[in-house]
Amino acid sequence: MLTVRNLNTYYGPVWALKNVSLHVGPGEIVCLIGANGAGKSTLMFSVMGVVKPHSGEILFEGEPIHHLETPDVVGKGLSLVPEGRQIFYPLTVEENLELGAYQRFKKEPKERILADLERVYELFPRLKERRRQLAGTLSGGEQQMLAIGRAFMARPKLLMLDEPSLGLAPKLVDVIMEAIATLNQKGLTILLVEQNARKALSLAHRGYVLETGRIILQGRTEELLADEDVRRAYLGKEYRQFTD
Amino acid sequence: MELEQKVEYLSEEGWRQWHLELLQSTINRVYHRVPFYRKLMDERGISPEDITDLSALKKLPFTTREHLEENYPYDLFAVPLKDIVRLHTFPGPRTPIVKGFTRRDLTSIRRLTARFMLTSGVSSEDIVQICLDPGMSVWIEELKEGAEEVGASVIPPDPQSVTNRIRIMKDFRTSVLVTTPSYALYLLHFMQTQGIRPPESLRILLLVGEGIASAERLKLEQAFGVTTRLGYGVTEAVGPGMGYECEEREGYHLAADYFLAEIVDPETGQEVAPGAVGELVITTLAVKANPLIRFRTGDLCRFLEGPCPCGRTTPRISQILGQADGRVSIRGIKVSLSYVETLFKETYGHVPEYLLYVRRRNFLEELELWVAINEKLFEPSILGLHQVAEKFERAFEETFGLPCRLKLVEKDHLDQVAQGRKIIKE
Repeated sequence: MLTVRNLNTYYGPVWALKNVSLHVGPGEIVCLIGANGAGKSTLMFSVMGVVKPHSGEILFEGEPIHHLETPDVVGKGLSLVPEGRQIFYPLTVEENLELGAYQRFKKEPKERILADLERVYELFPRLKERRRQLAGTLSGGEQQMLAIGRAFMARPKLLMLDEPSLGLAPKLVDVIMEAIATLNQKGLTILLVEQNARKALSLAHRGYVLETGRIILQGRTEELLADEDVRRAYLGKEYRQFTD
Repeated sequence: MELEQKVEYLSEEGWRQWHLELLQSTINRVYHRVPFYRKLMDERGISPEDITDLSALKKLPFTTREHLEENYPYDLFAVPLKDIVRLHTFPGPRTPIVKGFTRRDLTSIRRLTARFMLTSGVSSEDIVQICLDPGMSVWIEELKEGAEEVGASVIPPDPQSVTNRIRIMKDFRTSVLVTTPSYALYLLHFMQTQGIRPPESLRILLLVGEGIASAERLKLEQAFGVTTRLGYGVTEAVGPGMGYECEEREGYHLAADYFLAEIVDPETGQEVAPGAVGELVITTLAVKANPLIRFRTGDLCRFLEGPCPCGRTTPRISQILGQADGRVSIRGIKVSLSYVETLFKETYGHVPEYLLYVRRRNFLEELELWVAINEKLFEPSILGLHQVAEKFERAFEETFGLPCRLKLVEKDHLDQVAQGRKIIKE
């Protein structure tokens, strides 16, 4: 579904992505793990056209999208839940969700959009309870639900999530992860960036490990969970053993 | 296993992407973690970022068994030593060759060997008996684990006489026999001369370590009442299961998710024309502890053109048609002339004129080492000529796990038989 080949992206003078190639197949959950600054968010921004890659190819359903502007990328069926939620605080929950469907209003009958709104409320009943409330008054977990819901309202074929569990209480992390699994079971393809490598790997089917802008490892998630490098760097196994 | 089996049917485009990703991450790891590879790449001015498609692989230099020796013991590991949970060692002329496995490597090789077993028709209902020489200890270990992964019961090759092996085969109703073609033929001959009927439980012969002519294959199938499947592997690279026959039995399907294969002219190192015979070169894609880049296997074969009717899209190679210069495969054990010469130097202090003569006695390959008599042979010690020869034979067997008989012959006779060759295989 999504194919990235030899992607090089610079942030000013910083070579943030070095020859990155990866793919996400239809129906898969693929996760990207890596330390801070490894290039995970840059990769998502490059796919969305938020930052322009220096070279390389990004194909979505076989079509090149690396030259497209962000709205056109969204139009192709990609949606990003950015890190830190980035929701519109002065708007209500429902207005935020409607904005997610911004590109669809002119093209599609309103009933379909309303039906999707109901789907989001089904997935996150908490949002329905607070539909009239201003988004800025929501808790962190609710804001994350809203950000996911808003991305879903664009009816993406591929949903990308950047650190959805960041700053959330463990219980809420589980709620969010469960929601992602549910979306996937309903047929949505997912690319997930997570600091919480253990959670991400237990949710995803396959994973890639980024280190200073390069992919150094990939595989099925059960392989990565057993991999010594991954355990050392991202699962904190040895640290725990040391202190136990 | 499910995902893995799907892998074998990827589209051409799918393979291209998969291979590119795996190659790039492998090169990223070896460049940053193995000084040997970094140096090779730096010397040629190649950086990991130059690997933008699969043809870029050709820019990278070859590695050989000599490199493996030179970097003994630790220098080719791409992971910290503490991550290595198993070490296999092979004989080398100057130093041993070592191959390490991380826990993940063990899992992946076990899956690969299991795939080889499953594709060959082995199931959890089977009793798998392995009959291989101790020189193939790595194969024995990995085949055993692969069969266990499938859920079969395994009888590894404990030291037993042929009679006992056949008895075990009958008493435990062995249904799959894993062995070399020459041992299978030897076993058949033994049974026939002793008037023993082949075990009725036997249904599959998995033949590894060497190729087999189709007439001999047919003979085995008819006499044992079994089907045969062949398997191929390079111990230093990935292991057994790198190549396996599908139900069509037209060459080995390569496990393309584990390695990239090239076939090059052994002299020039250039890629051969499609379908032409050359040396198989392997780049591992799924190995963590000891990745190998463009490893010269020494095995001569050719790519089989066209899709396989079984639907698998992995590349296929022919049986191994021979060894690139300086090596011979005896009962699946690869003997290199340079190793033999090192043994000569150690025992005799010099390398005499010699010939490796591989004979077949009762279908079992036996190695005779012919040495042309010269004065120097009498020099090395006060031991008699025969005692030195015995010492050599012992050293040889210790090194290769394969017996060898040293035969002193007149120089003229050797020249006449050898006609300039160092290896003769009957």
